[in-house]
Amino acid sequence: MRLSRALTTNTEGREGASRVAPLLSSGVSKGSLPGPYPQTPEERAAAAKKYNLRLEDYQPYPDDGKGYGDYPMLPNRSQQERDPWYSWDHPDLRRNWGESMHWDFDMYTRNRVDTSPSPVDWSTMSKTLLGYLGFMLLMFGLGEVFPMYQPVMPKQYPYNDLYLERGGDPEKQPKPVKHYEI
Amino acid sequence: MSRYMADYKEAPLASRPKTLDPAEYFNLSPEYRRAEEERAAIRARLKRQYQMQLNNPLRKELIEDPALTRWTYARVHVLPNFKATPKTSLLGGLFGVFPLFALYFLFSSDRNKKEQQIKDGTYQRPYRLSY
Repeated sequence: MRLSRALTTNTEGREGASRVAPLLSSGVSKGSLPGPYPQTPEERAAAAKKYNLRLEDYQPYPDDGKGYGDYPMLPNRSQQERDPWYSWDHPDLRRNWGESMHWDFDMYTRNRVDTSPSPVDWSTMSKTLLGYLGFMLLMFGLGEVFPMYQPVMPKQYPYNDLYLERGGDPEKQPKPVKHYEI
Repeated sequence: MSRYMADYKEAPLASRPKTLDPAEYFNLSPEYRRAEEERAAIRARLKRQYQMQLNNPLRKELIEDPALTRWTYARVHVLPNFKATPKTSLLGGLFGVFPLFALYFLFSSDRNKKEQQIKDGTYQRPYRLSY
């Protein structure tokens, strides 16, 4: 009866909580899963203990209905920013076992979004990029307006512009074509 | 650009590494030290727990990470904590309801226009229907 109750979504009989009963087949105890937003200081302390954070460090997301519950709001820093020389339990993820994960942890892995400081400051970066792009655009635009190419003329053919080869009448005398000036 | 901690200026929207934070080195207050010690104590406890499980010769199963379980649970169970506030209703309407109807009307009007053109015979086919 207890197992069947756990396998169905039972939300009645629990005051204030609208969460699904956890499956008893896993090793997780009932109090160790995320719950609703902590209202009282005792709930806050319990939540801080649950997430392995200090009470002062524990800061849940604001309760504006977006669905975070009591999950802690950790600083929005990528894993790439963490110390590469520290002996992490999971070195590729730069994370220790049991450490609370950021809500967007899968975004902040080292393959994805990186919040590391850039080597040059923002103003220099943007000035360099926009300056280069602007200069290239300007020069290409000027090249369209003032084109410059090797001077060429139509090709000059001998034999009166190839009169006979072009199907001219052999009896008639063609118009003399002079390609030179002396 | 000098290499000294005092001259380091971080880029906007980026963080200063903890090793370059002057608060870590100068004028450390006892409260700050105690806070750091408490954090180190939590970290050490978790590390010990993990290492005991990892190096246990009698362990046959995978080491389960409760933080990972909690994270996946939290990411999945967003609906129980959802409340219909003005902000969430606005976001839901803006990203869910509005594009649905807008795209419906956009596509249907565009296709009706094309259908009308084909019926009138003024539509220029870019590709041949058959040879």
